[in-house]
Amino acid sequence: MPLYLCNTTRGAINDDAKRKIAADITRIHCDVTGAPAQFVHAFFVENDTAPPLGDKTAVLFATIRAGRTEDQKARIIAEMQDSVRTHAALDSDAVGMITADVPASWAFEGGEVMPEPGEEAEWLKRHHRSESGD
Amino acid sequence: MINCNCIVQANQFSADTEMALRDKLTAFAEHAFGEPADITWRVIPKNSGFTAARPSVSSIILVSANRPLPQSERAMLLEQMCTLWASETQQSLNEVVGVISDPQA
Repeated sequence: MPLYLCNTTRGAINDDAKRKIAADITRIHCDVTGAPAQFVHAFFVENDTAPPLGDKTAVLFATIRAGRTEDQKARIIAEMQDSVRTHAALDSDAVGMITADVPASWAFEGGEVMPEPGEEAEWLKRHHRSESGD
Repeated sequence: MINCNCIVQANQFSADTEMALRDKLTAFAEHAFGEPADITWRVIPKNSGFTAARPSVSSIILVSANRPLPQSERAMLLEQMCTLWASETQQSLNEVVGVISDPQA
């Protein structure tokens, strides 16, 4: 967690663009929230049932730990939508994004319940990982 | 039925492993919640899964409980679920993410 799941019409985002968007998603999430990169999962699917595409070409559904502010979420949405638009060469109204809050206590990663936002340092120390993602 | 959404990477598991995981998750759901699992198996295509901006080897298991869970019970069930997955797949627990959510209000 977080899990960013991007559903698109078939062929809308090529592999090179996926790699760039995933890098942007990871950077943006970490910049905005201070979370470590190793928590950030960015997955791409095509013509899937979820998240529903409606009239969009791409929809990014973000499942993030609860506790982020509305300002943080608005920044995440704006910057990630811009990344998808830029790298996939899509019109501004072709990309949708939704966020959903999940309590950290509901999630399990690295063999234990996830830390609350801002309390990752002890978790990382126990896992002998650095915040650089090593 | 207990909704169980499994997200895995392409070519990560054999058909036999998938079948074993489905059986174990069904047994887990029956044990934990008294109902079998309704499993959705989603495969992330090749070159389409990233963790920390690198090619991902992570599996994600999202389960919707049929009742609100005390945190102590949720933590125990999360550990059981992720451990059974890691045991069957030979993955590290660092590569397994589990979520057990309460019913929506």
